[in-house]
Amino acid sequence: MTHPESGVLAEFQAGLVTGRRRASIASHLAGCDRCAGLSDQLGEIPALLAAAPSPAMPDDVARRLDLVLAAEAAKRLSSERAVDDSPANSPASPGPRRRWDFRLVTQQILVPAAAVVVLAAGGFGLSRVTGGSSSSSAASGSEAAPATSARAAHGTASAGSGATSRSAAVPAIRAPINFRVLNSGINYLPATLAQQLESELHRHAQPAAGPQVLASGSLKGCVLRVTQGTRPGTLALVERAHFQGQPAIVIVAVSGQHDTAWVTASGCSASSDHVLATATLPGTSAP
Amino acid sequence: MPATDGEWPSDTELLRRHVAGDSDAFGELFRRHRDRLWAVALRTLCDPEEAADALQDAMISAFRRAGDFRGDSAVTTWLHRIVINACLDRLRRRAVRPVTSAGDEQALEALLAHDPDPARATDTRLDVDAALRMLPAPQRAALVVVDMLGFSVDDAAAILDTSPGTIKSRCARARARILPYVAHLRGNRSGSQRVSPAQGGDT
Repeated sequence: MTHPESGVLAEFQAGLVTGRRRASIASHLAGCDRCAGLSDQLGEIPALLAAAPSPAMPDDVARRLDLVLAAEAAKRLSSERAVDDSPANSPASPGPRRRWDFRLVTQQILVPAAAVVVLAAGGFGLSRVTGGSSSSSAASGSEAAPATSARAAHGTASAGSGATSRSAAVPAIRAPINFRVLNSGINYLPATLAQQLESELHRHAQPAAGPQVLASGSLKGCVLRVTQGTRPGTLALVERAHFQGQPAIVIVAVSGQHDTAWVTASGCSASSDHVLATATLPGTSAP
Repeated sequence: MPATDGEWPSDTELLRRHVAGDSDAFGELFRRHRDRLWAVALRTLCDPEEAADALQDAMISAFRRAGDFRGDSAVTTWLHRIVINACLDRLRRRAVRPVTSAGDEQALEALLAHDPDPARATDTRLDVDAALRMLPAPQRAALVVVDMLGFSVDDAAAILDTSPGTIKSRCARARARILPYVAHLRGNRSGSQRVSPAQGGDT
């Protein structure tokens, strides 16, 4: 017979050729070096492919998917608690009937899910994230903060200095264990993050009147985790907002000579943070 | 996940925790496998943007449908299936099959049909990713799942929702098709002919 096509040889190797045809190919291979060699090469392709280096997921894709999953988790959580941030949310039941039409649903979900902008003003009373502080009210001016701060693992010496005022008229806000969480409709963007934060800090320099939202346990854990390792400072702001259109948490800490801001995904908790961005704001605190 | 030393939950355990309401478990599961899932999506769709979109669809679906997982396969098999389905769905929605032009395929067929030594039929040397792009999507998907990811034919059939015989057939034809382009990659045992990045390989 003439030399079989490589496709046929491959099928032969895969056991897909039967009967007489199989027998004739087999006997051809026994006598034909060229086809036998080709057959060998075909047989090596699986190993070749398996050995091919596997591309790692690019960071931006990983971040994006982390955000998406965090939004899913947040949505599930809010559904479970029957707390609905937005009346326009889709129902709590899992996914639409159409199997793969998730993009639409995703966008609906992500819009209301605010980014938590944690403007961590260094409330290192945060090290005690169990809400056991008896003294704390939501107000960020609470004088109980230094006491709890003293217990902080970070041992902040700046608890006392947390009241240093900023020359830019944004006073440091000491945070008690139960720190206030703001909800803002702000959509922070990477290019303007610092400016947006500055103006937000100005706006919230004074504690707001009236009932305030306290941080949940997971948010406290998030803030602790995110601010861990930084120099002790004072928690300036913790805010749920958006970052690049995605729900996020913004944390700003006044830490000695400058303010540090973190933006994390809204699923941030004590066990995992998804830091999307950080910023150092112009130092306005005098030590 | 608690960061305690020595605690390393299995995939099945992570999925169970996720279904039970643990808000970190799915993310952890995803982080474990995301590079392979990315490789699958990228190699099936041949386009990073599409791969990211498909992976997003797939992960949301997996997140929500985790309660349906019955443990009759490995969690990774289940995840791969969801990803591949999202990719194939996307491919079906494409107006034109973009991965090979008709001209490429015809040239390839001609080479394979008439040249007695297909391994020398072309001067074109491609890295594996470029070679995969020469394949029609069903063959590429089969080859990626079986040869690259190492799933069994039966598992691949489950992932790709077809029969084992079809998987074998697609793999066979796919291997024959790409052989001329990747034959130079063989024989690493003998230390020769490593593809260099300059030849178009990504590392």
